[in-house]
Amino acid sequence: MIKISIIGAGRMGITHYSIINSHPDVTVSAIADPSGLMLSMMKKYLNITTYKDYNDLFNKNCPDAVLVCTPPNLHHDILKKAAEKKIHVFVEKPYTTDFHKSKELARLFEDRGLVNQVGYVNRFNDVFSNVRLLVNDNVIGPVIRFKSEMFSGTVLKPDDGEGWRGSRKSGGGAVYEMASHAIDLINYLVGKPEKVIGSSLNFIYSKKVEDAVSSTFLYKNGSSGTIYINWSDESYRKPTNKIELFGTKGKILADQHSYKIFCNKENSKLGFRQGWNTRFITDLFQNVPFYVRGNEFTRQLYHFVDCIQNPGTKNVCSFRDGADAQEVIHKIFNDYATNGKAL
Amino acid sequence: MEHIDSVVFGDNQFFGINHMSQEKAQQLSEQFYDINNIYKVYELAFDAGIRAVMLNSNDRAQIICEHFRNNISRYPSLNWYPSIPYPYKYANLVAEKGIFPAINEVLFKDNSARKVMVMITKGSAAVLTKDAVKMMQLLIDVEMKMFVGLNIKVVFLQNIITDLILGFGLGDIFDEYCQYIRKKYNAIPGLITQNMPFLKKRLEEWGIKDVVICSSYNKIGYLMSPDVDSYVKASNENNPDDYQLMAMSTLASGAITAKEAYNFINQQNIQSVVFGASSKRNIDETVSLIKISN
Repeated sequence: MIKISIIGAGRMGITHYSIINSHPDVTVSAIADPSGLMLSMMKKYLNITTYKDYNDLFNKNCPDAVLVCTPPNLHHDILKKAAEKKIHVFVEKPYTTDFHKSKELARLFEDRGLVNQVGYVNRFNDVFSNVRLLVNDNVIGPVIRFKSEMFSGTVLKPDDGEGWRGSRKSGGGAVYEMASHAIDLINYLVGKPEKVIGSSLNFIYSKKVEDAVSSTFLYKNGSSGTIYINWSDESYRKPTNKIELFGTKGKILADQHSYKIFCNKENSKLGFRQGWNTRFITDLFQNVPFYVRGNEFTRQLYHFVDCIQNPGTKNVCSFRDGADAQEVIHKIFNDYATNGKAL
Repeated sequence: MEHIDSVVFGDNQFFGINHMSQEKAQQLSEQFYDINNIYKVYELAFDAGIRAVMLNSNDRAQIICEHFRNNISRYPSLNWYPSIPYPYKYANLVAEKGIFPAINEVLFKDNSARKVMVMITKGSAAVLTKDAVKMMQLLIDVEMKMFVGLNIKVVFLQNIITDLILGFGLGDIFDEYCQYIRKKYNAIPGLITQNMPFLKKRLEEWGIKDVVICSSYNKIGYLMSPDVDSYVKASNENNPDDYQLMAMSTLASGAITAKEAYNFINQQNIQSVVFGASSKRNIDETVSLIKISN
């Protein structure tokens, strides 16, 4: 049995707890959160060991692995401590708020042979993982142009800026919380850009953090693409990712539910006609053993367990991948600070 | 357990929900922007003989409930199958404010001052005593407010909540939910899930019976964890006196034709089907294809 603890009992902590609790080889051993109310509820109903301070959890509970679901600015210290204690870590995205320390942290886990994973859940989505196979198989040729977009109606009222979500320093804002997904998806499908230009941020409802962001990514080989993320768009009932990839042999349009591929020539091996072909999620899905919030959420945590059980398994979204996303985020903020304002 | 209706008319099509295509979802949302178009589709369903309606407690459902309450004489006698809560309302609030402030906001928004006083007393007591059951009851009442006065047959808990509680293994919470629905709303408790075989097994272990279990049920296994075979096995072994099973997503969001879908469904040991459609042709066709006796 693998002993897993959870640090942070917010929305993601609770979701991950429910999912991982269903794994036959896992026992959830403890939870740490500063909220006394949350902890006493957990203790009362789940009969689980609770800690207000994660240091106590590390010292007294000695888990094999932790799921870290705290505000992002706390990730670095928690992860460092976990590495010292030789504990495997799954951490929610964004991986850190400090780009300079993110690579060092990845190396620490690699050197100690510890499983390290970041919660960029799109990598486990049935559609996006299929799109990656198509790109890697060169079905549309080298990607020359792309577009990665995300929309949601998450922030629709003026925000007072209180709480960790109200400040960039603690990991709040549309870039860290939402664009990081779109950025990671580009890193996953196309690769990490060399240069970031034309970044702009919009403050729609939030006082201290951005609600929308757009940026252009440039590559050494001449490829380029754009991202646009807006979480104050009421026309979206639920968060939506859209991606468009253009290559010399065709084009792919994808979201979480389907992809459309235009092939310049017929591809009989994959069953694509010349022209447009649509594949829906119902053609692509693979069931998971236990479903709470979408197949990808279960798949990413079961993959984490898999990597612990089978040393040497390549992690689909390692800290190094998290550091790559962090590097791009860092470049966007720098680009905006230097060039992003009209005056 | 009282028998449920074998055909229930669903609501996803009205609220721009389509699991397969966001484009299709947007089209539907435009078509039903005018709420009168929703009432027209309900009439088509009633003309086809349907007398049961499943409705999620979102903002538009409130207007729909109001309409049916005010126009009782215009419609045949109907059984209502509310599903609670509207998950996105909570998802956004929780993301924005945190879990407890979100609950507070839901409890105290849209209520008169006097009511709020009563609820604060009850609610603070719930928070102070760390009483999740009381908190849950208050939340159920908030969500159910719009359905009061309609003939409520089953009250369903949405799958995101059911499956979260299932993952935690909280049998007591399910038990409290079921008791409260029976006592306060004189209705049959219902649970929507994406893990039907596992949920049924756990409910049996906990000794919780007389529940309607609603789950995706289609021949390709879409949204059916862990797989189709486990669903078929679980329903074959089920005694409908303990759990009445209701199938949703029978067409797997359009991936299977209606004929194919119901050829499969009609062979299963299930007691009810909930489906949504927006044209007379699709409604009539589906009703004629469903051959399950209850």
